[in-house]
Amino acid sequence: MKNFEFLFTAWMVVWAVFFAYELSIARRITQTREEIERLKQQLQQR
Amino acid sequence: MKARFTITALVALLILCAGYAALFIAPDEATMHAIQRIFYFHVASWNAMFCAFFVAFYASVAYLVTGKRKWDALGVSGVEVGVLCCTIGLITGPLWARPVWGIWWTWDAKLTSTFILWLLFIAYLLLRGLVEDPEKKASLSAVFAIFASLDIPLVYLANRLWRTQHPQPVIAGGQGSGLDPTMSKVLLLCLLAVFCVMILVLIDRYRLELLRHDCAELKFEIESRGLDASEGAATPALQKGGQ
Amino acid sequence: MTTAKAAAIILAKELRLEFRTRELLTATVIFALVVVVLFSFAFDPTAAESRRYGPGLLWIAILFAGSLMLNPSFAREQNNETLDALRMAPISSFAILLGKILANFIFMSLAELVLVPVFAVLYNLSLAGIVWRLILVLVLGTLGLTVTGTVFSAVSAHARMRELLLPLLLLPLLTPLLIAAVESTASLFAESPALDRTWFAFLAGFDIVFLTASWLLCDHLLAE
Repeated sequence: MKNFEFLFTAWMVVWAVFFAYELSIARRITQTREEIERLKQQLQQR
Repeated sequence: MKARFTITALVALLILCAGYAALFIAPDEATMHAIQRIFYFHVASWNAMFCAFFVAFYASVAYLVTGKRKWDALGVSGVEVGVLCCTIGLITGPLWARPVWGIWWTWDAKLTSTFILWLLFIAYLLLRGLVEDPEKKASLSAVFAIFASLDIPLVYLANRLWRTQHPQPVIAGGQGSGLDPTMSKVLLLCLLAVFCVMILVLIDRYRLELLRHDCAELKFEIESRGLDASEGAATPALQKGGQ
Repeated sequence: MTTAKAAAIILAKELRLEFRTRELLTATVIFALVVVVLFSFAFDPTAAESRRYGPGLLWIAILFAGSLMLNPSFAREQNNETLDALRMAPISSFAILLGKILANFIFMSLAELVLVPVFAVLYNLSLAGIVWRLILVLVLGTLGLTVTGTVFSAVSAHARMRELLLPLLLLPLLTPLLIAAVESTASLFAESPALDRTWFAFLAGFDIVFLTASWLLCDHLLAE
């Protein structure tokens, strides 16, 4: 296939961008959840 | 949780089907051959972008009318995901243009308009990062999102009147337009796949924004009781609320 | 008090404040002239080239100068917390915004009154016979710039790095205005000047869209 490398790059870009973004969101959700837990505990302790 | 897993699995399957169809089932284009297959995802990403920006516009209006925080969260999610789809379109476009036109970029109407759109919504995200007060942040960024959305048709119209080199819309683009039936079926599948992925990502981003809001409220409560909110934080990076 | 009367009072206040020192106006004119002069180094302005690039660089100078000039409009109120006092006054928020838009429009027009003749001389362009039509284009273009610019000045006033943020918000939004204004002006500087009606109407449409939007949104813009 002619120009296959362009097609392949474009193909990878589409899903890599979505995947990386989704990963970063998942990571941030976990972090925020942990922090909320910590803050809640702090509120109960005092 | 189980329902979510099922939906994600279904969307993953949809992506695989769409990818297979775009690469192997769709007929070869007469003049551009293999590289034309970028089209299926290029067009799909624009479609998803417009849907995301429309969500952002709707949510911004709804926030100003109702004043509910959830609309603000949806607004910022829509813009961020829209910018993401726009970035994908801006990368795949030149990758197609290089072998076909022989250049990466040209100052054509559609390209220029989209680039401006991208800059406008990046400015929205910047604005959110630079305003401290949460109430102000929400209302001012909603005002800006509405102004930016009103600008989109004007940008397209101005550029359209000005110059264009981009291929005309193949569907309903006037005489001689129209897709091979197999091609349009594959395109529809790809539109659906990218759209579903966009919606999934948008929902997750929305959940994150709501969680951040809860977190900020907790922090505020702790501070109002005269405690140190950063006490016991695992790493300093966690203290930053982000945008 | 009617909106018009309240807006007139705000306008008078803005004018009084500015003409006490004339700092903003002087700085804007000088900045626009600097842009125009710098462009002359970027290409050697022969008469034919001036006709081609002239309108574009005139409007770039106006837009850049405007995006700097509009910044203090609300930032000044923010620094002294006088915006709260204005909000407490029994006038509509649109009156506050309108007064400021009009004041900025007058400042920008005054700056252009100096800029355009100097520009015409430096770039060897004749204004004879097109003065009134050119003024019409300048008025519509400047109106669009000041309406959106004043609104965004209220937006960026609450942000950090507001001086940098305002051009970032404003300039991409103004691209349709820039294209329309440049094309209208270019049609006047052509060999046989004739105002391009399509672009002129586009310019008017831009003004109407954003004036209406700022009227609808001003309560949220200036809300506490």
